[in-house]
Amino acid sequence: MIKFTERAPYAPVEYLYDVDEILFKGKSKFQEIMVIRNPHYGRMLILDDVVQITERDEFFYHEMLTHVVMHANPSPKKVIVIGGGDGGVVREVLKHGSVEKVFFVEIDEEVINISKRFFPTVSCGIDDPRVEIKIMDGADFVAKRKSSDIDAVIIDSTDIIGFARSLFTTDFFNAVKNCLTENGMFVTHTESLHFHKDMVVEIQEVLKKVFPLVDLYTAPLATYPGNWWAFAVASKGPSPREMRHAFDIKTRYYSDEIHQQSFVPKGFYEKLMQRKLEW
Amino acid sequence: MLRTFKIEKYHAGIVAESTLFKALQYLDRENIETPFLLVDSEKVREKASLIGRRITNSKLFYAVKANPDIEILRFLSGLDSGFEIASEGELDMLSKIGVKPSRIISSNPVKTLKFLNCAASYGVNHFSFDSREEVEKLAGLLPHCNVYVRLSVPNEGSEWPLSKKFGVELREAASLLSYAKDKGLNPVGITFHVGSQCTNIYNWNIALDKAKALWDIAKKKGLKLRLLNIGGGYPIRYTKNVIDIETIERNVNSLIYERFPDDVEIHIEPGRAVVGDAGIFVTTVIGKARRDDEDWVYIDVGVFNGLMESIGGIKYSYIVESHKQARHRKQWTIAGPSCDSFDVIDKNVALPEPQVGKLILILSSGAYTVSYASEFNGFSVPKTVLI
Repeated sequence: MIKFTERAPYAPVEYLYDVDEILFKGKSKFQEIMVIRNPHYGRMLILDDVVQITERDEFFYHEMLTHVVMHANPSPKKVIVIGGGDGGVVREVLKHGSVEKVFFVEIDEEVINISKRFFPTVSCGIDDPRVEIKIMDGADFVAKRKSSDIDAVIIDSTDIIGFARSLFTTDFFNAVKNCLTENGMFVTHTESLHFHKDMVVEIQEVLKKVFPLVDLYTAPLATYPGNWWAFAVASKGPSPREMRHAFDIKTRYYSDEIHQQSFVPKGFYEKLMQRKLEW
Repeated sequence: MLRTFKIEKYHAGIVAESTLFKALQYLDRENIETPFLLVDSEKVREKASLIGRRITNSKLFYAVKANPDIEILRFLSGLDSGFEIASEGELDMLSKIGVKPSRIISSNPVKTLKFLNCAASYGVNHFSFDSREEVEKLAGLLPHCNVYVRLSVPNEGSEWPLSKKFGVELREAASLLSYAKDKGLNPVGITFHVGSQCTNIYNWNIALDKAKALWDIAKKKGLKLRLLNIGGGYPIRYTKNVIDIETIERNVNSLIYERFPDDVEIHIEPGRAVVGDAGIFVTTVIGKARRDDEDWVYIDVGVFNGLMESIGGIKYSYIVESHKQARHRKQWTIAGPSCDSFDVIDKNVALPEPQVGKLILILSSGAYTVSYASEFNGFSVPKTVLI
């Protein structure tokens, strides 16, 4: 059987996947795109040799990236999703009835096209009339926003210091803050607490220079090296730990219980930030 | 404006993601004149806590010569690190930040009188030696001080061999220990150095065998030793993977366990391994030229103002400021800014096209760079910035 070896640049391990079939292999203007089928995970989207989503477990990541900030807002109406060309986050955002508008900002149109072709259950929300697709760098899009009317900015990006670097700068975080409402929140993945603890802390620190309140929650993800995936969430004041409207959507992993459980305990957070945790 | 760099997959094997992230954040925020050296404090902390962890009863003495920046010294002092020095200048830096003399040793076997005078008045009390003349100097200025003899050991496989200049063979070492005792000094131990950037793990085996032989001879002579200083030499990654510190230390620890008494004190004195891979040199492209069939790129740091080790064989990895989509690479000769034809850092380096005025980052450049820099040709010594 053919095997695919994942090469995530900063991971100390390599994952090896059986490949039933290579469904697509090509190059966009920005990256190499591949879709394979694995006996366990089903279809897998791979960008520059790094697994992005699999049919079997994509909901863990998409639900956890989306629903925490969406529930921390009493009534989220306008949302910006940056990256996530597969459409998974957009699908989750649209589950909230209050949502009127989703700006879906993806730099690589080819990823959207591939997702529509190979991952219909993930990309199903992209053509919803509430969604406005913008093919551009998310940092430019946010920098050009003039009003503070966005309830959630959600980043679903690739590698932090490479391709997606513009989405992890202080300038960008400032621009995000400017476009958020008073109850608005920002969320981004910050890699694994096992393998990239320093990155998790650095990003918390950079966000703290911009936002009054920064917090951290995690979710277990089978296909991302390090698995114990960390999400940085920032707000102008309200705590993301609190849910501000009822949990009444259909999900597979996220729930009101999971919302509370996913945040790291305060004592642990303090130790992490003081770099007193060693592993 | 946000700078974009062509970060490639192989860079991940050289520099920690968080170190690079911090450096890029710094470059986004600050606009200071190049060249300068960024040093990631968290990486220094990580390395300082890693070194010695697997060796029983060991203590770290940072080799100040690797990078004597006062903020780095202050930071390490805060982590309770010891320091290894060789000159009054280095001692002066440590006294400025209030390092106690008990945390300072000097392992240079041939020291200046000026330094010994300063060390005596400061209270430094651990010195290496490998000659009768040094014993006499020490006996004159620092009677009763603790001394350890430098044994010569093979340096094969080190990028920066040290053994030819220093160290003596077994018989001579044994007689020097006796001589030191006769002259009223306190002979406490043995030191050796496997060579800087040592990628040959067996050097430690040979060195510890030899140290054990000397230990036994000394015991027969009635000298009771207590200290083994195993020098430095732990390698860091420049362009390729190297044996990791845990592997070296596990090996060294079991070798020590098999050969030496349980209560032997171990001193480790690395410099490169503490600050080397925490450092990123930030340089600017000042020119390009095509000479015969060679493409040359000139940057504002060179052999004389920071990259001296490049002529000794250290090859660095580079990150070029360029477009995200730049995929084409070709071979470059990289040269420094001075008028000297010796000022060539590397040849046949595959890089995306550098642009004049844009940056090039040089990875793993925290050690033996600015500390070697001169003002040759009027180019100033680059600053170190601890971030």
